[in-house]
Amino acid sequence: MSENKLLKKLFQAYYRENKSKIPIVDLLEHREFGFIPWDKQIMIRHMAFKNVELLKKYLADNGSRHVYSSGTLYLQPDNLNMNNKQYQGCDLVIDIDVDHFETPCKTNHDYWYCVECGKSGKGMMNKCPKCGKRKLRNLNWICDICLDIAKRDIISLIYDFLFPDFGIDEKDLKIAFSGHRGYHLKVENKKMRGLSSGDRREIVDYITGSNISLEILGLKNLSLNLSLLRDNIGWSKKIILKIEEVLKNYSNDIIIKLFKGKQFGLSNDTIEFILNNKQNFLEILWNIEGFGPKKWETFLYGIIKEIGIRIDDPVSIDIHRLIRYPGSLHGKTGFKVQELSIKELDTFNPLDESNKNLDPIVFQSDIMQKIEILEPKVPATKIKGQTYGPFSQGEIIEVPHHIAVFLLCRGVAKTA
Amino acid sequence: MTVPIELIYRYPWLPSLKEFFSDIASKPPSEFISTIFSETFSEEIQERLFEIFKAAFDNLENVSYYKLDKVNVYLYLLLKILMVVLDNKIITNKIANLYSKINYNDLIKENDYNIYSICEDLKLDILYSDPMEYGVNILKDQRELLKTSFRIYYTDYLKLISNLHDEYRKLVNNALSNGYVFIQKRSLIRLIQEYIRNKFEVKEDKASLESLKKELLNLQEFKELYENILSQWELKKEVFEYSFDISFKEGADISNTFPPCINEILSKSQEGQNLIHIERLFLVFFLHALNYPVDKIIDIFSTMPDFARDKTAYQVNFAKKKGYTPHKCTTLKSLNLCMAAKYKDKICLEGYYSKKQDAQKKIKHPLFYVQLKQFRASRKENHPNNNLKNNNERK
Ligand code: SF4
Ligand SMILES: [Zn+2]
Ligand SMILES: [Zn+2]
Repeated sequence: MSENKLLKKLFQAYYRENKSKIPIVDLLEHREFGFIPWDKQIMIRHMAFKNVELLKKYLADNGSRHVYSSGTLYLQPDNLNMNNKQYQGCDLVIDIDVDHFETPCKTNHDYWYCVECGKSGKGMMNKCPKCGKRKLRNLNWICDICLDIAKRDIISLIYDFLFPDFGIDEKDLKIAFSGHRGYHLKVENKKMRGLSSGDRREIVDYITGSNISLEILGLKNLSLNLSLLRDNIGWSKKIILKIEEVLKNYSNDIIIKLFKGKQFGLSNDTIEFILNNKQNFLEILWNIEGFGPKKWETFLYGIIKEIGIRIDDPVSIDIHRLIRYPGSLHGKTGFKVQELSIKELDTFNPLDESNKNLDPIVFQSDIMQKIEILEPKVPATKIKGQTYGPFSQGEIIEVPHHIAVFLLCRGVAKTA
Repeated sequence: MTVPIELIYRYPWLPSLKEFFSDIASKPPSEFISTIFSETFSEEIQERLFEIFKAAFDNLENVSYYKLDKVNVYLYLLLKILMVVLDNKIITNKIANLYSKINYNDLIKENDYNIYSICEDLKLDILYSDPMEYGVNILKDQRELLKTSFRIYYTDYLKLISNLHDEYRKLVNNALSNGYVFIQKRSLIRLIQEYIRNKFEVKEDKASLESLKKELLNLQEFKELYENILSQWELKKEVFEYSFDISFKEGADISNTFPPCINEILSKSQEGQNLIHIERLFLVFFLHALNYPVDKIIDIFSTMPDFARDKTAYQVNFAKKKGYTPHKCTTLKSLNLCMAAKYKDKICLEGYYSKKQDAQKKIKHPLFYVQLKQFRASRKENHPNNNLKNNNERK
């Protein structure tokens, strides 16, 4: 517990000294706030602030472990009863977090451990492969490859979907690094705010490519030249262009890796067949001898998954969610939730950012600190170009302040 | 900008009604009703009104007597007030379905520009331009260029399709560019129909509803009108309820042996709610499997907002020819159509005891549910009743 006291002090001091760095969200007084404190595993909800100064004071006083505000606008955000809050609308919130999808490096830095039978292993797992139970403890680590994948997804979300298809105005976009393993994006405009949960489901389906009908899009039982669909507006065009991109620009090695992966799950024979008939695949759909309708569907749905953005659906559909407040600190890392403009996003590098104003590693310091590792295995952590670890249980290490804060926040170490 | 008054006569649900008829639109309902009964067209309007109720109660898709004149405006307002006073979900749905269908048939005849003006008046964000191509549609070896003059902003589009669950209306299956969905005129009008349908939804709270009702029923003429409609409804209601009763075995009613999943769909349709495609299919397959008469199946669908008798008849007959079997429970569960929990149905939730296998078995198919219930019913008959019968016979 003394670690939590120490971290609370650090967070309080940060909020006291950096008041100017806490941004105001639009219509702040109409949003519900939630906080997770350091001393209890609870969420303090139904809070509201008349202005940002009061919020800043609250943060400096409490140094909360996690700070959230609603995408939702209410007339009475602090009313304890959901039905009496008087819902006024909700921003569209999109969450891209590598916690929710496979990345190639997870086998290097993510561990799982089965509480039921004791089996452990590396990578992403949600069900124990030995006993089949879902009681897994996961130790998911930050990594710049993962964060880069999340960043590429958010960029594709903006440039392949939000701008061209939805015509979203740049000024309505709020992007933020989540302070851990992903990015948040908010669309703040009046029309969007009026959409119901069901309407948002439609937007989510569009962005992820779920519930596409190949038939309606004209992608079924087609024996004509593929290029005919190239000028179709909407998903059919996206699919055709992706097929072309993959087959024309990717090397065979990459294609094989992609097609074998979870998204496609094609057999070796099928992959070989496609590679041997590339030209045919670039010209016509469905009517290729030796490639039946079932295979076509698998192939096309794989392509669709390749295009769709891997977002955390429930976050976007739920109209009462709380999301991390920009400028606040993430209690699991000690990193700042960093707001970014689209331009800034381009070059943003969360774990080694050179622009001081955008740097989420707010506790950076050369002062060394001694801590003791508690977790059996702690993966290597690369921050600011330096790699620390891997470490194992019982090790007493001396690391720079920000690394110590990170490991303490993650709960894998204690002060020594 | 307002629309020409002719459009208001034709489509009194347009927001601009307030501009043209500010005198009546701002009147309290009781005053408005008194005015109607003192006007020269008071007889005329009642005649039209009954025409609509009759057609709605008979599940017709159109009325024979409907005029697009000034009286039509009063008719619409009177209808809306009646819906509030009647406060009956089934009647409201029936009227809303019919009224919006009548309007659809008129809207289809409007030129592009009028449709655009109507959308503007509805504050829909619509782009209207020279026809734009947005793709090709390929059917067999035919290709057809997709073109339209209309584009609708996606938030408006989503709101309007929210009760229509057809796959082809999903945003992901449509052409979306720069915030606008390319939409064919016919589809756009279908969405306007949906808007009109929703206009009839009663939103008043219970208290103000009661006081309004009391106030209006003090007006003798209105009271007569109201009671007349109610008695018509009472008469018709029975027909509705019977129209579901399975009578394929001459007189025997087996509808009480239907499983919750079917009952849910039937009650939805009875209320005039839209059924999604898969619900329709399941219902048709199920009723076919029980040899339910085709025309009665079509009747069930006649309450749907988008009912077209020819089309439905074709589809129902087609399904019959193909002889599909209805979906099994696991499929229905995955489609969220299983209503075992909602109806707390014992057979569905707990299964039944099989003597043959000496084990508790789960229900695997809704048709088996019917069999089981029929079997149980027949056993009941065989016990107490049988004795009676036998006694009588012996006498
Ligand atoms: S258990 Fe089967 S029969 Fe019962 S409601 Fe569910 S789907 Fe229908
Ligand atoms: Zn296990
Ligand atoms: Zn990684």
